[in-house]
Amino acid sequence: MEGKIIVVTSGKGGVGKTTATASIGAALALEGNRVAVIDMDIGLRNLDVVLGLENRIVFNIVDVVNKRCNLSQALIRDRRIENLFLVPASQSDNKDVLTPLGVQRVAKQLKSEFDYVIMDSPAGIEKGFENSVVAADEAIVICTPDVSSIRDADRVIGLLYARSITPRLVVNRIIPEMVARGDMLSHEDVMDVLSIDLLGLVPMDDQVVVSTNTGMPLVMQNQSLAGQAFRRIAKRINGEPEIPIQVPTAMKTGFWSKITQKLGLTK
Amino acid sequence: MEKSLVTNEISAVKLRGVGDGFKLTLDPTMPEEVILKEITALFEPLKHLSVNTKVVLDIGNVQGYDNLIRDIKFLLKSRFDVGGVIQHSEKISGVGKDSGSTINHRSNSNKDNSRGWVTDRSDALILTGRVRSGQKIETQSHLIIAGNVNPGAELTAGGNIIVLGALLGQVYAGYPDDEYAFVMALDFRPTQVQIGGVVSIEINSEFVGKPVFATVKDNKIITEDYIKTQPFGKIQWPTVM
Ligand SMILES: Nc1ncnc2c1ncn2[C@@H]1O[C@H](COP(=O)(O)OP(=O)(O)OP(=O)(O)O)[C@@H](O)[C@H]1O
Ligand SMILES: [Mg+2]
Repeated sequence: MEGKIIVVTSGKGGVGKTTATASIGAALALEGNRVAVIDMDIGLRNLDVVLGLENRIVFNIVDVVNKRCNLSQALIRDRRIENLFLVPASQSDNKDVLTPLGVQRVAKQLKSEFDYVIMDSPAGIEKGFENSVVAADEAIVICTPDVSSIRDADRVIGLLYARSITPRLVVNRIIPEMVARGDMLSHEDVMDVLSIDLLGLVPMDDQVVVSTNTGMPLVMQNQSLAGQAFRRIAKRINGEPEIPIQVPTAMKTGFWSKITQKLGLTK
Repeated sequence: MEKSLVTNEISAVKLRGVGDGFKLTLDPTMPEEVILKEITALFEPLKHLSVNTKVVLDIGNVQGYDNLIRDIKFLLKSRFDVGGVIQHSEKISGVGKDSGSTINHRSNSNKDNSRGWVTDRSDALILTGRVRSGQKIETQSHLIIAGNVNPGAELTAGGNIIVLGALLGQVYAGYPDDEYAFVMALDFRPTQVQIGGVVSIEINSEFVGKPVFATVKDNKIITEDYIKTQPFGKIQWPTVM
C-alpha cells in the first residue's frame, strides 16, 4: 500500500514547522509506522539539528532530486527511534535548484517505501513552498495565536485549497495564562478566522528548546506537555481522529510558587 | 390624468408595487390576448412575490369590459395565486391619491421608474464561501458575499458590496468614483473601507456584532446601525439597485 505525503507549512517563519515535523514524524514512528521526514528548507537546514542527526549527513535532498545519489544513500536512520528516517536539506544551495517535477519523482519513490513522508516546508509562499506542496496528499498548517501568523496561515490555506489539498490546523506556542488574561488570542479566535479542521493545540513549553539542544526527541520526553500534544496529533493522523482535542490550561499553582508569591518573588 | 399616463405607454399594461400589493394599469381597448400576454410576462418573474397579494386593477374611466376583467382575475388567481383582485373605483382612487403623487414624483425623473424594477436588470456577482487573506475579488457590478471576508482579503466592486457574514478585510465599493455606493455587512469590522474616492481613516467600532451600513456623507464614510437606521425603509416600492 502507498504511503501518504504530508506537508507542514505556515507562511510565516519561526512558528514551529520544523519542531512539528520532527515531533509528529517521531511520534508516528513510535506508533509503528515507517516514517521519512524531509527537510525542504534548502539553504537553511534545521531538521537534522532538531533530530540530533547533523553529524551523519553525507547526501541531501538536492543530491537525490538532481540524481547525484540514490534515495537510500541520502536517508539517515535515527538511532533511538526505529523506522524514523531523515532526508536533510542542503545547506549551500538556494531554493531554485529543485524543480517541482524532480520533487514529484522522488516523492513517488518515498511514498512506495514509507507509510508517512513528512515535508518540512520553508517559510514563505514562493518556490520553496511550491516544491514542498507539489507532491503533498495532505497538509498541516502551523500557526501561533497572533494576528500576523494567522494572516499568513490564512493565505497559505487559500493556496492549498487552490491545489485541492485540504489542510488541517495546529496552533502552536499557546500560553494558557496569557489566554486566560485576555492577552493572547484563544484557539477559538484563531478558528473563527481560519475555519479549517483542528488537528491539535500545542502549548509553549521550555522542553522544546531543551530537546532541540540535546537532540532528544520531544515526544520521548514524557513530562513535556508539547511532546504529549504532538503524540496526540500523530495519533489523530494515524487513524484515531476521535481523540479529543485538549485545550492547554494554566498550570495548577504548586507549593513553591505559592510560597514565592507570598514572599513577593513573583507577581 | 392617470388615463393620459396609460395611453402614453407603448405597452398595454403597466405594473407597479403599491403598499402591500400591486397596481395593474391597462388599456382595455387593446386586444385581450395582448393584454393577457403582457400581464403574464410581467407577473412571471414575480411569482414568488405575488402569492396572496392584493392587486388593484385600473382600466381607466371606461365602462364595460366585464369579460376582460373576469379573464384577468382568473389568470391572476389561477396562475399567480394572488390574494384578490379589486377594480380601481372612485373610492379606491381616493386612497390612491397617494399613489397618484408617487406617479408625479417619479415622472419628475427622466426615466420611467414605474416599471423599472420589472424591466431593468441589476447585475450582481453573488458568491458564497470564505474569502481568505491574499485573495482578491473584483467586479464591475454589485458584489454579494454569503460568507466571511478575512483580514487581508480584498473586495472591489463597481457597485455596492453586501457581506452576509463577518467583514474583516478591505473593501472598495463604487469603484472608481461612485460615492453613492454603499457597503453593508452583518458583522462589520473591515480593515479599510473605500467608497468612490473616499477612504475611511478610522472605522467606527461602536456597532460590533450588528449589521452595519456604510455610505459617504460630506466626503466622509459614515457607518450606521442598519436595523436601527433602516436606510431603505423610505423607499416605498421595489426598486432596482
Ligand atoms: N511549543 C513550543 N514551545 C516553545 N518553543 C517552541 C515551540 N515550538 C517552537 N518553538 C521554538 O520556536 C522556534 C522556531 O521553531 P521552528 O524552528 O520549529 O519554527 P519553523 O517554523 O520551522 O521556523 P522557520 O520558518 O525558520 O523554518 C525554535 O526556537 C523552537 O524551539
Ligand atoms: Mg523550519
